[in-house]
Amino acid sequence: MTMTPGLRKFALTAHLTFSVGWIGAVVAYLALGIAAMTSQEVQTMRAAWIAMELTGWYVIVPLALASLLTGLVMSLGTRWGLFRHYWVLFSLLLTIFAVIVLLLHMPTVTFLADVAAQADEATLGRVGGDLFHPSFGLLVLLVIQVLNIYKPRGLTPYGWRKQQEQGRVSPDVDAAT
Amino acid sequence: MSQTHGGPDRGSPPSTPRWVKVFGIIVIVLLLLFVILHLTGNSFGGHNGYLPSIEHGAQPP
Repeated sequence: MTMTPGLRKFALTAHLTFSVGWIGAVVAYLALGIAAMTSQEVQTMRAAWIAMELTGWYVIVPLALASLLTGLVMSLGTRWGLFRHYWVLFSLLLTIFAVIVLLLHMPTVTFLADVAAQADEATLGRVGGDLFHPSFGLLVLLVIQVLNIYKPRGLTPYGWRKQQEQGRVSPDVDAAT
Repeated sequence: MSQTHGGPDRGSPPSTPRWVKVFGIIVIVLLLLFVILHLTGNSFGGHNGYLPSIEHGAQPP
């Protein structure tokens, strides 16, 4: 199940690109959310919500799904595994949580973007912006990134049993991500 | 290499690292905070003050 070095590098490149792109897209979304919340200009608020919907569906969601998928490929295709190391397990759970919240939140963004497109100034003021979800999402993504870079040590009981069975020392060398 | 962090015996699994326990508690607290804030409508900067069903007869998804 272990990938060849060339394939592993390709998968790692894809995973890094999608993951970092996801973070960048959330930062852009956060900027739009702040603009929608703080701006006094009707056109700016309207445009921000429309851009948030487009950014969410066409950039953030695809990047999130691609990041999750390539992360699974990286884990299963190397000796890190999915459930052997605590940092991989935490990264997986947090990523799944972030993707689920994103997919549950996006229909509301679409709804509010539709409202904003037609609303008058008073109604737009009540629609406000969207800070909570992108802020929390960004925090989760940064935590995942730190885990993936530092790779704090710690084998799960399952990972320990597997290591005992295989008599291996560490996947650090051939699966560095 | 990675399982010898606490110097466990070869026949017994290593104890859970301290960072895992601390990190797990922080994650659980933050997730609970997220859920509570979300359910109570206190998400800062959010759009919870808007009640579209009243004004437009529409329902958010």
